[in-house]
This record gives sequence, structure tokens and C-alpha cells, in this order.
Amino acid sequence: MESELSRLVDALPGLVWTALPDGNIDFFNQRWCEYTGLSLDDSIGSGWEASIHPEDLSELLECRRFTLDSGEPREIEARLRRFDGEYRWFFFRSSPLTDTDRRVVRWCGIITDIDRQMRAAEEGSGHWWRSRAARENHFRSIVDRLPAFVTLMNPNGEAVLANRQVLEYFGATLDEVKGWENGSTIHPDDRPGAIAAWQRSVETGESFGFEGRHRRADGVYRWFQMRGFPLRDSEGRIVLWYLLQTDVENHKRTEEALRASEQNLRQIIDSIPGLVCTMSPAGAIEHQNQQVLDYFGRTAEELRDWAFTDAVHPDDLQRVIEVLTKSITTGTLYDIEHRCRRADGVYRWFQVRALPVRDTDNRVTGWYVLLIDIDDRKRAEEALRASERNLTQIINTIPTLAWSARPDGSAEFFNQHYVDYLGLSQEQAQEWGWTTAVHPDDLNSLAGAWQHIRASEEPGESEARLRRFDGEYRWFLFRANPLRDESGKIVKWYGTNTDIDDRKRAEEELRRSEARKTAILDSALDCIVTIDHEGHITEFNPAAERTFGYCRDEAVGKRLADVIIPPSLREGHRQGFTRYLATGEARVLGKRVELTAARADGSEFPVELAISRIPLEGPPSFTGYLRDITERRLAEEELRRSEAFLAEGQRLSRTGSFSWRVATEEITWSEQVYSIFELEPDLPVTLGLLGSRVHPEDIPLLCDMVERAKAGKDFEYEHRLLLPENRIKYLHLVGHGTRNKLGELEYIGAVQDVTERRLSEEALGKVRSELAHVARVTSLGALTASIAHEVNQPLSGIVTNASTCLRMLAADPPNIDGARETARRTIRDGNRASEVITRLRALFSKEDITTERVDLNEATREVIALSLGELQGTRVMLRSELANGLPPVAGDRVQLQQVILNLLRNALDAMSAVEDRPRQLVIRTEQDEGDLVRLTMQDTGVGLDSQNLERLFDAFYTTKSSGMGMGLSVCRSIIERHRGRLWAAPNDGPGATFSFSIPHGFEGAMGTHNLGAIREPAVTDAAKVMRKS
Amino acid sequence: MKINCTLISVVDDDESVRESLPDLIREFGFTARAFPSAEEFLASDCVVKTKCLILDIEMPGMSGPDLQRELARRRQETPIIFITAHSSEAIRPHLLKGGAVECLIKPFSDTALLVAINAALRAK
Repeated sequence: MESELSRLVDALPGLVWTALPDGNIDFFNQRWCEYTGLSLDDSIGSGWEASIHPEDLSELLECRRFTLDSGEPREIEARLRRFDGEYRWFFFRSSPLTDTDRRVVRWCGIITDIDRQMRAAEEGSGHWWRSRAARENHFRSIVDRLPAFVTLMNPNGEAVLANRQVLEYFGATLDEVKGWENGSTIHPDDRPGAIAAWQRSVETGESFGFEGRHRRADGVYRWFQMRGFPLRDSEGRIVLWYLLQTDVENHKRTEEALRASEQNLRQIIDSIPGLVCTMSPAGAIEHQNQQVLDYFGRTAEELRDWAFTDAVHPDDLQRVIEVLTKSITTGTLYDIEHRCRRADGVYRWFQVRALPVRDTDNRVTGWYVLLIDIDDRKRAEEALRASERNLTQIINTIPTLAWSARPDGSAEFFNQHYVDYLGLSQEQAQEWGWTTAVHPDDLNSLAGAWQHIRASEEPGESEARLRRFDGEYRWFLFRANPLRDESGKIVKWYGTNTDIDDRKRAEEELRRSEARKTAILDSALDCIVTIDHEGHITEFNPAAERTFGYCRDEAVGKRLADVIIPPSLREGHRQGFTRYLATGEARVLGKRVELTAARADGSEFPVELAISRIPLEGPPSFTGYLRDITERRLAEEELRRSEAFLAEGQRLSRTGSFSWRVATEEITWSEQVYSIFELEPDLPVTLGLLGSRVHPEDIPLLCDMVERAKAGKDFEYEHRLLLPENRIKYLHLVGHGTRNKLGELEYIGAVQDVTERRLSEEALGKVRSELAHVARVTSLGALTASIAHEVNQPLSGIVTNASTCLRMLAADPPNIDGARETARRTIRDGNRASEVITRLRALFSKEDITTERVDLNEATREVIALSLGELQGTRVMLRSELANGLPPVAGDRVQLQQVILNLLRNALDAMSAVEDRPRQLVIRTEQDEGDLVRLTMQDTGVGLDSQNLERLFDAFYTTKSSGMGMGLSVCRSIIERHRGRLWAAPNDGPGATFSFSIPHGFEGAMGTHNLGAIREPAVTDAAKVMRKS
Repeated sequence: MKINCTLISVVDDDESVRESLPDLIREFGFTARAFPSAEEFLASDCVVKTKCLILDIEMPGMSGPDLQRELARRRQETPIIFITAHSSEAIRPHLLKGGAVECLIKPFSDTALLVAINAALRAK
């Protein structure tokens, strides 16, 4: 379109020019350039003026000025120099192009060559103007050729003439056109304006200019620029109007497009979030967008004269200049960030990019500059950096271990706390290094959980123990959150590990304490039942299950009253409970009460109940502790009964009990003690009271007892009471000291009235002494009997033998031999009798013993042989341990044998009543130190009372009911006459051991002197008795 | 002297008695045997033959009264004359109730013995 236009323009038979609204010609067509020989560049601006004939120039310029100023085109002729230097006359005509606001946007003009005509006119006025018709035709042909619509109109607005373009456009003949109403072809919207403009022109005579749409033959409307020039006659009256209409449809469109595009461009430029300008090499801003004006607060003109560097921040200036300079010299683009001062004085950061503009010689003719306000960004960056610093600080300060990991699970970042905790460096912990700190037992489950979380792509958590730098393991809660990009893919995991060790321990503690609590409840022997504020059972422990016969699930939820309280008492319980809830008054809380409860099977039994309120917030709940006290009741009953028995028993046995708190001298007596003391029961008991009853002679005993008691020792006393009418009672008292629960010394004791016993003991004592006397007498009797027996044997023999002898002699014939024999026996027996007497005398006198060499072992064996029958008869096991090489002793064999026999007989007697152990007799002989020979006889009999060891050897002392008490005293005197010693001792086990030791030497025993038998009074008594009888 | 086959047994642990008394009894005209213990007497073949038993009371092992009871158990109604060195006042009634003919205290005269023997044989 444009090229066609320019071809058209170039084809016009004329020199065509266009100019800016200010008249600055910026275009010449080809013909001009060919004619003038000037280039376009040389021509534009004011270059063309050089082609005007100097004589015509000023007029032309003036005409031009007039035209420009008025907006009304003027024509003028002037000479234009041809390329070869020749001047020719040209006709200069121009017309403005206006926009819808009637402002001139362009001038255009045609310069037509009229040289021939002018010359012709100079030569004469013939050729050219030959005929009006020719002239008209000529003119018409020109007009018809014009690429414009030319119409001639009369002052009434009727068309007189129209050129071919017009007719072609409208598709009408001249006659038809003539008949049209003025403005009828104009678009209805434009018509009013056109008509108004026409009227105005007609009235004022000024040229007419209008843009409007004409309807073409085919009905299409196209824009035209309409110009109307009046033709005046010599008197100045308008005779014709020349109407020049140029089809500016395309132009309009182009213009519009251009305008639109310019507007667009402007808008774009103005809306670029940046300051866009062009700068001269010197740095002056030549063109700029609105932002520039706004930012610097200057007008375009001001900016042009202004040094841009003035706005640069002093601190950045140096840098800017350097970069600028470098860029200028090298001609390369520069890109720099610096601060620029805004209109209000505030400096803001800009990124400044400038692209150099070069001319054809590659010189920089200017800069295209783009300034982007990066101040916010810069501040944001700074803020970001600060916030990053902040964030890092925060991350490193928050009291958790924070970390990030890659999608594959390997760790990327650890915050300071984490690193410090682990005691590892970032490098050591990264990737999978941190897993070395996880507790071996937890590693598998943690790894599994981490894997699961990553796979699920959802936030997740897990717990594990992590080792601290010092080796201690603590529980942590590992939490991870995914970070996704715009497409939703996970690019990173962020996590925190929170130290839950204390919580874990607390949880563990709680679990243990819960378990303990449950264990306590479960193992409690008491029934523990909890109820809520409505009286429904919430807990029912195993003991309760057992006691009442419900299982927990049966009982929970039911009302307590319905479960354990017998029907008859339910109402009372319910009322009490309701009253408590209403008034807060509780008759039963905090106390132990006894009531009757019922089991599942309906049986009723006594229970002890204690209810307490559970001290928690919210509606009240209660815990009840129940104990089946059936057994206790029975025990109480038992106790009552046994106490009754005790009281009865005390009464019967005349024994009373007392307690005595020593420090405070509080004495408590049982009823029986009062009875013993014959005092009113419930009299307060004091030591004084005691003293009043105690027998005066026994008061010292009482004092002694008190002293002993204060020292904390147990005591046992017997003392007498002196009662009214001089009656005496004997009391046996025992007291045992204990510490009571306050740690005080307290005596518990018993007092028994032993008067009767004592009296009977005294009686017995008297009887005993009488008996002893009798026994002594009886012993003598026994002695006598024994002696008699001893003598009797030979006497009896004598009598018998003598009688026999007589009868034998009296026989016929007399039995002389028999008589002799009997006589012999008689003598023998007589001797024997005498011997006995002798012995007896010897026994009771100081006469010497018959001394001979006695083998003690032999003598013992003979005695044993004699007693074998008895030993077997009494089932006694005899063991004899007779020492070899025992030296012989000097002594009376027979007497020694008597001693041995006596000891043996005693041993047998001692064992005669033993049934529960073997009857064992050990006879031992051995050499003793100091030339002594010892014989011991050890039995397993009833043993000896160690208190009476010496009394054993008293004459007449016997423990045998039929004994005569002779034996041991006689034995002792025999042994002592042998210058030996006889003694007895109880065994470690059962039985006793009797031993005698006698010197074996013959020295000094040969004589007759007696080394002293100890005279015993009893012996003397016996001798006296014997002599008397 | 007439020889009588009436056997009189003497049971006494005292040797002198066993020595002297049988001779006296033979002088009376009886046959006499002596035994040191009741057990030996019982073990002998004279238990039934004995027409009269002169029995010591105190003997080790089986005493005189024991033998008396034993014989009674065997329904051996041999008359018994007890002899003793001890006073028999206490036990005399018992012995007599038990069937003893007499209880003599040593030393006794031969006459007393003969009377007792005769009484014993007569009672039989």
C-alpha cells in the first residue's frame, strides 16, 4: 500500500513534498530529487531552500510562513533550480492534512512546472491561453489526471464541474452529480459537520477543510479529505469553489493504524516497568517515556538540558562513570546497578542497561537506556539476606534439631543444635552419616518409618533414640514435611527432631505407675469400687469381684445400691447419696461404717465400708473401700468369749493380771487382783496402796522389786500380804518388761494367790522333816535290817547245821561223818558271822584296813561277774574299759569290791526307770596322774541334781524310796581310808559318773597308821545308835 | 533212819542255806533237792515231784512270790514254805493268802521247820 502510494507520488506530474506540522519538510518525491538533483537528505529540513531562486526565496518563505501560521494554504510561483543549474518557473501549492480535531498533522504540496506557460505569458499571452475551451480542456485533463477528486461548485453548493475520478467514484454522470444535493454522498454521521463547515466557509469565504466519508458507487464509504478553495473575481466575490477531495481512506486507516500503533507503542513504552529513554552521547535525555518524567519530576525539555549523572548517588557515581566511560570507549552495552535520585530526593536502586546506537560509521550516536527500578528488589534482597541471616539464626536457635534431606532420604543440612547434639560436623552427619547416632535397637524401625514416609509423600513422624555427643541416648520425635515444586513433585524434605526423652521417661514412669496402680488395685485384698456422681459403678476391682460374686463387666454401669446393697437398705442409701449431692453434707464420707451388704447370690454379710471423695475437678466421684468383716466379727466374738474365759480362769486360779507403766507409775489391775488384795474394784492403784497391804516384813522386797523394775529387768517375787484380822496371804508375782508403742517401759505381769500352796508346802515341809527323821530312823532300821541280814545268813546256817548235827548224832546209828560236816559248817558260819561283825566294826571305826596287793581290774571283774545276772535282768549294756598294766593298789580287796558293787548297784538303780534311751554302764579303770589309780562308773540313768552332789555322800541321804542311804557314805569312808577320793558328777548327757581314785603305792600303807578318815557326824551317830542297841 | 521218797525242794540263792538245809531235811527223813534259783527249779524235773517247796522270798530274778504265782498259774498246788532273812510282817498275810503254808524267819529252829513241813504235807 505504501509503496503503491509512493509510486503514485513519484508518478505524479509534479514535485511532491510533505512536511511536519511545523513546516519542516521531511519528504520529497523522486521527481523533486531528479529535478533538483538533491538527495532526500539534502533536501529535507531546510535543505530545499537552496534550490529556490534567491530572488523568489524570501517571498516563498513568507508565503510558507503565512501558510503555516494560518493553516491556510497559499500558492505561489517561484523559480526552482534544476539539477543542471537552470531555473524554471514552478507553481507551489500546499494543503494541510488535519486530524479529527482539525489540527494539522502534515502538510503536503505539489510543485508544478509552469515554466513554459510563464515564458509563454512573458512572450505574449497567446499560446497557452488560446481558447478558453482549450484551456479548459487542458486544465480539465490535468484535473482529470490528478489523483484527487476535483469538483467545482458554485456558491450555492451545486456541482458545476467534477473530474473523472469523482464521476468514477460515485458512478454517476456529471448531470447526475449536478443534481445531487450538497453533501448527499457524505456519510450521515459526517454530514452535519460537513454541511456546517461548508456553510461557514461560504459565509466567511475562507477555505473549507473537512474530513468525511463519501459513499462510493458500490455503497462503500471511504474517507476523504475535502478542501475547498474559493475562486474570487476581480472584485473579490466568490464565483466558484474548488473542491479538492483526496481519498484518504487508506491513509486514514494507516494513520489510524499508525496512531493506534503509536498509541500502543506509547502505552507499551509508558507501561514498561522501567524508565526508557534515549540519551545523547553527552548523556542528555532526548526521548523518554512517562516513567522517566514522573520519576525525575521534570519535563522533557528540562531533561534534555540536564546531566543525567546529577541524579546518580554520590557513592555510586565513581563506579557509574567508570562503566559509562568504558562503555562509551568500547561502544559496548553497559549494565550497572546504581542509585538514582527521585524527584522527591529519595534515592532508589536501578538496574541501568544501555544499548549504544551507531550510525553507519559505527560511531555511537546515542544510547537506548532502560532503567529498571530494582530498589524494592534490592531492599527485598537485603531484607531477604537479613531475613536469611535471621532465619539461620532462628534455625540455629530454636530448641529443636532441624534438618533437611533430599528426596532420596539422604540428609543435606543440619542446624547448629543438631550438629552440636551429635558432636559431628556437617560433613560427617550428611548423607547417611547421622544414622550412626541412632540407637541400634531403634535404627531398623526408624529407617523403615523414614522409607514409608518418603514413599507416602505425606508428612510423617517416628520416634527413636539418638546418641548425644557424650554417649547418652535420648528419645526424639522425628518429624518430616515435604517441600514440593510447582508441579507437585517433592524436591526436599524438612524435618525437626524434638527431644521427648523426658516425656518418654515420664510416659514410661506413667505407664509403670499405671501398671503399679492397676497392680495395686488388682492385688488389693480390700474391695475397691468407684462410683460417679450418679451413683453408677465405674470401677470394680478383682477383690470386689470375688467378694460380691459379680464380674467387673456386670457391675460397671449399674447403680452401686442395686449391686451390693441389700434391697431393704437401698432406699436409705439412695436418699443419703441424693442428700449429699444436693447439700454437700455427707454422713458417710471419710468415716468407717459397718453395714450389711449382699452378694450376687443374695446372701447378706457384714462389711466395713469407707467412702472418700475423689479430689478431682468436675462432677464428684467417689471411691469405696469394702472389707468383708464376717471373719472379724467371728474373731471379735471369739475374743469376747475368750476374755470371758480368761476372767473366769483368773477367778478360778486366783491369778490376776496387772500392767504397770513405770515412768508414770500408772498401775492397772484386773478384777482378780482387787479380789486378791481384798480391795474395792476400780480403786486407783498406787504403790502406796500396794504398800498398805504388803506384809511389813516384806516391804523391803517390794522396794527391791520397784528398784529392779525401774532398771528394766524382769522380776519374780513371793511376798506376803497382811490383811485385816492379821490374815496372811502368800503372793507369787511375775513381771515382764516391754516397751509399749510410745517406747515407754511397761510391765505386764501376773499375781497369783499361792497361800494355799504355800501352806501346804509348809505342811509338806514339816512332814518331810518328820519323814526325814523317820527315814533316818528307818535307815537305821534298814541298816539294822541289813546288818541283821548279813549276820542272819551265817546264824541261820549255824542253827540249821547245828540242828542237823544233833539229829545226825541222834540217829541210829549216829551219822558221825554227817555230824562232823555240819559241825564244820557251823564253825565256818560262825566265823563268817564274826567276820561280818568285824567288818561292820571296821566300817564304823578308825581301824586299819587289811592291806594287801589288790589288782583293781581283777577285783572289778569279779564284781562284774557277781552282778551279771542283775545286769542282764535289768537289760543293762555293760562296757568295761579296764586299762592294761594297771599297777596294783595297796588296800582291802573286799572293801574295795564292796565300793565297786555299791556303785554298780546305784547305777543300776538309777537306770531302772529309764525307757527312752539305752541303759548303758561303762566301767573304766585307768592310771591317774600322781601315782593314782582311778575307777569310773558311768551310767545313763536319771542323773544327779548338781545342787545335791555333796549331799549324796551324806549318810542317810537317799533318793531311793527303799534305800537305806548307807552306801555312798560308807563307800567314801572306805576310799578315804585308802587315802583316796570318791566323787560324783552329772554327765553331759543323761546319767551320772561316779569315780574314785586311790594311790597305788605301798609306801606308808604297810604300817597301821591311819592317814585320817574324815569323821562324819552321821557315822558317829550311827555308831552311837549301834552301841546303844 | 527211814527213807522217805517225799521230795522236798529248797530254792534259795544263799549258798549256806543250800548247804545246810537239805541235810536237815534228810535227817527228817525226806528227800531233798536244792536249787539256787526259781528258774532252775522250774527248769528241772522236780516241779511236779516236789511235795513241798521251801522257798526263799528275796531272790534275784524270779522271787519267791513270783514262783508261787507261777506255780499257781501252772496249777501246781505244791505247798510252799517261805523262808526269809527279813521281817515278814508286812507280806506274811499276802503270802499266806497266796497259798503259802508258812513263812519262817531265819534263823529258824529245826523244830519250826519240821512242823511247817508236816503241816504242808498234811494239808496236801
